[in-house]
Amino acid sequence: MVYIIRVIFIVCVSLLVSCSQGQTEKESQLALMKTTNPNPTVTENNSDQDNVERIEREVESIDEIYDVAVVKGKEATLIVYKVKHMQRFRMKQIEKDLNKKLEEKYPNEQFTVSSDYKIFLEAVRLVERKDNGNLSDKQAEKRLNEIVKMTSAMK
Amino acid sequence: MASKQKKMTPQQQKYQQLQQKHELKRPVLKNCIKAFFVGGLICVVGQAISYFYIYYFDFTEQSVGNPTVATMVFLSMLLTGFGVYDRLGQFAGAGSAVPVTGFGNAVISAAIEHRTEGFVLGVGGNMFKLAGSVILFGVFSAFVVALIKTLLGMWGVL
Amino acid sequence: MLKGKQSWVFQNRPMILSTGVSGGPFEANGNLADDFDILHEDLWMGMDSYEKAQRVLLEEAITTTLKKAKMEKEQIEFLFAGDLINQITPSSFAARTVQIPYFGLFGACSTSMEGLALASFVVNYQGARNVLTGASSHNAATEKQFRYPTEYGGQKPPTAQWTVTGAGVGLVTENNPGQQHPVTTSATIGKVIDMGLSDPFNMGGAMAPAAADTIMAHFRDLELDPSHYDLIITGDLGRIGHDTAFELINKSGLKLERKQFQDCGLLLYKDDQPVQAGASGAGCSATVLYGHLLNQMKKGVYKRILVVATGALLSPLSFQQKESIPCIAHAVSIEMNEVGG
Repeated sequence: MVYIIRVIFIVCVSLLVSCSQGQTEKESQLALMKTTNPNPTVTENNSDQDNVERIEREVESIDEIYDVAVVKGKEATLIVYKVKHMQRFRMKQIEKDLNKKLEEKYPNEQFTVSSDYKIFLEAVRLVERKDNGNLSDKQAEKRLNEIVKMTSAMK
Repeated sequence: MASKQKKMTPQQQKYQQLQQKHELKRPVLKNCIKAFFVGGLICVVGQAISYFYIYYFDFTEQSVGNPTVATMVFLSMLLTGFGVYDRLGQFAGAGSAVPVTGFGNAVISAAIEHRTEGFVLGVGGNMFKLAGSVILFGVFSAFVVALIKTLLGMWGVL
Repeated sequence: MLKGKQSWVFQNRPMILSTGVSGGPFEANGNLADDFDILHEDLWMGMDSYEKAQRVLLEEAITTTLKKAKMEKEQIEFLFAGDLINQITPSSFAARTVQIPYFGLFGACSTSMEGLALASFVVNYQGARNVLTGASSHNAATEKQFRYPTEYGGQKPPTAQWTVTGAGVGLVTENNPGQQHPVTTSATIGKVIDMGLSDPFNMGGAMAPAAADTIMAHFRDLELDPSHYDLIITGDLGRIGHDTAFELINKSGLKLERKQFQDCGLLLYKDDQPVQAGASGAGCSATVLYGHLLNQMKKGVYKRILVVATGALLSPLSFQQKESIPCIAHAVSIEMNEVGG
């Protein structure tokens, strides 16, 4: 009996250990456990970096929200955020308010807003790979559109 | 309970009072604490598995539920087969019965138990003898709640 | 001979010539492992179902009994046996194997004493020379029928009891003066008592009044005092039922010492085994009596004992239909034969 429990324990541990190997991106590994606050990013270097940073500050100024990732592509702008633990009961309301606020201030932008961990993780990964120079502008744009598609599929 | 008491003869009532004195009570507080921790631990494992699927597969937070539940039920199947889960259940009580692993255990233990009566009448016929009512009343209450929500939506309350 | 209202006195003093006791792995780790003739490492006993395993337990106990008595099964006139499984199939199937004319009994966990009382009665009146009697139970088979699947992780309350995996068989023969063997001297047949308890996880509490009633009837019918016996032992009342029965008897005016009043279900297992309130099952009183208690008597620890096996006469159907649990108890008194008497 003890033997069986031990075997199961070892299997579980080795599963967990093997998961955390072969990772090149250091930051995104822990993106779900701690505050990452990735740099606001645009897929094309020339375009409006200032604008993106302003959006990020705007989103961060909301009390219930911490840890924001903003990625702007040619058309879509992806905004992913985490909600403070006890405020998660009001997630839908927060998303609604945020959408409204953004639409009022930036009527010309196409926003995709999400608080999903998976989208957050992918956004962080995208930013990280872009910052490391592993991703060209074109690839980044493509990946961004994939993530946006994933988000809309959820709704 | 009150109507039940009335039907009993005075002799029966007197004996039951005497018997109550000797009866060992369930240690409710201790059971609650144990259930809290073991149940919580099972949920931590479940959370770890769902993070695993989010990190390494294309599951979003909303779609990760299905593979996580499948994995947890698979794990509880292994534990049931190895004879660990019933001991865990005796220790943890509701802590191991309420999570989906407890549901898996109820199905799988019945399937193992009735294997000797063959696959059709034994396993097939008895597999859901414990879990069947959970499924029935789960589906039924989901139906009722959905009905209420739909009606409220139609009347414009929601 | 009928004495009083519901008791028999066996004036010819039928003798328990030999016994056979088999058990499972849980009993092997228990308190009385030394008193078992056969202990299995495997709960399946090499069979493919628990019901077959229980049949094997009973068959082995019968074979061992005959071997110890140096008798062939052709010399046995009757077999009185029973168990808890639906339509007592393990006992009947074992009877099919041994080919001894057979009475199937059902008294739930009191079957062992029901069988011994009837066997003694038949032998006492020359209805037979040699009669086998026994009872068996199997933990997993009984749990399967009465409660949940074995591997189901439900929490049992502290009042629940652990069904014994084991079979005990005794060979009752005509008295042969001069032989140092235990003899049965009297028996009291109990009536069904229902105190309205309906919790199948508290059988001890339900059975206690039946045990107390039979014990009081025994002393009333035979006009005896509890001090007549070195030991009065109940079948499977467990901790709660045993305490309750003790209080009931003492309240009735019989003077019973705590140390002469014991319970088979509390003797069988060690304290650290997870059996909650104690052991139960048809095999409980059978294995403890035919193994441990008779061995102790042969060693001279006890001279006269009264064994009171208690049974809860419920079925899985009856308690699901919210019926209360009717209970019964039968008592048999056993003494050591007087040498040269």
